[in-house]
Amino acid sequence: MTLPGILASYFIQPEVWDELMSHTGVRGSYHHLVKAIEGFTPDELGNKDELAKKLFMTQGITFTVYSDNEGVEKIFPFDIIPRIIEAKEWAIIEAGIKQRLKALNIFLKDVYHQQFIIKDGMVPAKLIYSCPLFLREMMNVNVPFDIYSHISGIDLIRDADGSFYVLEDNLRTPSGVSYMLENRSITFRIFPDIIPRNNVRSVIEYPSLLLKNLLGLANRQASNPTVVLLTPGVYNSAYFEHTTLARLMGIELVEGRDLVVENHHVYMKTTSGLQKVDVIYRRVDDDFIDPLTFRPDSVLGVPGIYWAYRKGNVAIVNAMGNGVADDKAVYSYVPEMIRYYLNEEPILKNVPTYELDVPENRSMVFANMNKMVVKKTNESGGYGMLMGNKATEEEMEEYKKAILEDPRNFIAQPIINLSSSPCYINGKLQPRRVDLRPFALYGPDGIDIVPGGLTRVALREGSLVVNSSQGGGSKDTWVLGE
Amino acid sequence: MLSRVAESVFWLARYMERTNGLLRVLRTNYLASQDEMREYNWKSVLQTYGYLFDEEIAPIQYNSRAVLEYVMLNRNNNASLINNITRSRENAKAVQDHITKEMWHNLNAYYHLIRELNIEQPIKYGDPIAALDALIKHGLFLYGTIDVTMPRGEAYNFLNIGRFMERAIITTDVTDIKLKEIEYNLQETATPALRYLLYSLSGYEAYLKTSRGIVEPDTIMKQVLYDEGFVHSVLYCMEHISRYFKRLRGQSIPESYEHLDFLIGKGLSNLKYSSSNLKDGLSIKELLAQTRQDLHHISAAFNKHYFGYN
Repeated sequence: MTLPGILASYFIQPEVWDELMSHTGVRGSYHHLVKAIEGFTPDELGNKDELAKKLFMTQGITFTVYSDNEGVEKIFPFDIIPRIIEAKEWAIIEAGIKQRLKALNIFLKDVYHQQFIIKDGMVPAKLIYSCPLFLREMMNVNVPFDIYSHISGIDLIRDADGSFYVLEDNLRTPSGVSYMLENRSITFRIFPDIIPRNNVRSVIEYPSLLLKNLLGLANRQASNPTVVLLTPGVYNSAYFEHTTLARLMGIELVEGRDLVVENHHVYMKTTSGLQKVDVIYRRVDDDFIDPLTFRPDSVLGVPGIYWAYRKGNVAIVNAMGNGVADDKAVYSYVPEMIRYYLNEEPILKNVPTYELDVPENRSMVFANMNKMVVKKTNESGGYGMLMGNKATEEEMEEYKKAILEDPRNFIAQPIINLSSSPCYINGKLQPRRVDLRPFALYGPDGIDIVPGGLTRVALREGSLVVNSSQGGGSKDTWVLGE
Repeated sequence: MLSRVAESVFWLARYMERTNGLLRVLRTNYLASQDEMREYNWKSVLQTYGYLFDEEIAPIQYNSRAVLEYVMLNRNNNASLINNITRSRENAKAVQDHITKEMWHNLNAYYHLIRELNIEQPIKYGDPIAALDALIKHGLFLYGTIDVTMPRGEAYNFLNIGRFMERAIITTDVTDIKLKEIEYNLQETATPALRYLLYSLSGYEAYLKTSRGIVEPDTIMKQVLYDEGFVHSVLYCMEHISRYFKRLRGQSIPESYEHLDFLIGKGLSNLKYSSSNLKDGLSIKELLAQTRQDLHHISAAFNKHYFGYN
């Protein structure tokens, strides 16, 4: 097998699925791309890498880290080589996510209403009631169209055999979609003409699909409903995303202090007086959304908004209380949920998950901790996690102690070798581990998944952690047409 | 439009205009400092654009570079150029969905520009005019972008109200400072100082064209205060505040509109029909103080009636 020069130093790692290459050579989906970048010298690729960084900076696609009276602008690292997904692979992902979301939404309705799944003994009551993200305040609240998770970012990974696994269902306020959009527009700039020649499906529809769904949730009596995006404010690290989405949808970007509740209706304070708000796409967490109902010290939320919501006077997206369905311990029951609610076999696999409040699981995990990843059930962003193969004895002991103190708060999973994808690092292409977060929109007309997503990449050599807080970056994701 | 957004747009324009005004004052003063027989004293600049005590001013007041560094780049100086641009950008960041993408990109680039070594180096070691010119040029680029890309809606009107409000304040302040330097004495000897006043307000060329080269204190004052064709004159700014405000009528609560309309009209009348003697420095001082107070009342009324501080 002769490899093009650009791939001369590229290698496949044992027991790892590589997105670009199999043992017989470059995969079909990457042929065009490899051919196109083959013509570039290392210097030219280096320039493109620089250009990408510059574009992110000048276009303000940054987040600010505040320290010492000075804000330091940081960019979310971007790798210029796109990740490619074939049409037939995407078809599986799409069907799998739709199936999963249907089940999870029915689960949320069930768990906050009749609780058939608990009564039938499929999910233990203790598991639900011990979940801190289960909100008793949501019991018997009817949400529009019975949709709880309007926007979901399902994290997928690929094991050595190439099959996709769901790692997490992010059903609360998943972020990253603006990077899906911006990464694509940066790729247009750094690789002109390459996208059209590769039959790449467009992701540009996302904002209009989202807006259509948001408008669909408004009270039918309102002829021109007001939809707003509620942000925690400029200091939030995802602020760029909030402002991008608001601009692309043409809706108001509001902060908690812009809204006021009167007589169980929500209004925004405008220069022409109070204006009624019908739908809120909120990017503020449950805990902070209403200081009268949840955390009293929150200044990010709106006092009284919970009751306006409960009365059906305003639609809030995503619904409150979704955390119970993406709790990492509840996650292990999702395949059962799919069978129970839909009478179907799950299309996407779950990573085997051990609940650590089961003594047998605990002793098994303690004995094999170096092959396990231990996670806190309610944390995200790569926090509250121990990679057994990288941890020191001391760290393991600390975790064991914490697990014994509160076993419900932890789960363990075998370490899955994430697939690798080529990245342009230090002047050459090198394999780095990636995951994939497609974004699914669930509206009154059904579930839409824009063909693409956010591919996050662990830029540190040998690392399996893709979170931006832990040295991760992202790359453009191409889903190919038929 | 959200009250918070209106306020941010208003303030982003004010900080932009303040930046522009400050750059021109610094450029003029720097040029003046190079054309002096004696060492040039920057004391009034430091007093106006900084928060130093007299004993802190004394060691640097004759050192052009130290002054420029303090007024332009010192983050601990609340009134510094870098803080103005940062605040303008922070306000823009919070209203990105109401300004055009091009405008946001330019303002963001302005912020990155002042943090570059290309600006810092000439100020500290090279030709400060090069740095000042680069910044003035970028500011003009930003104004051009606003003019060409911004839709003529509510945001544009608030943007212009903020801009002319700040410009009117700058002109009154800069004029008052200059008059104070010459102890409000408008004799022939005041001419050099007033010439620099015109430089600071980009009005010297216009003055020469209309006055046929005769430089007299009262005609300079007339241009600075009343010339309707001079974009930095107080009257021009007040009339433009009124012009852009009237466009807000359709989007305003009637009582709020009427209140502001009254205050702006009153301010304009106080200026237009003033009986001040333009040959008398103290009389002008009173007029400037009156105008400043009127502007303050207008600004406070915007806070109360449009920006939600009621």
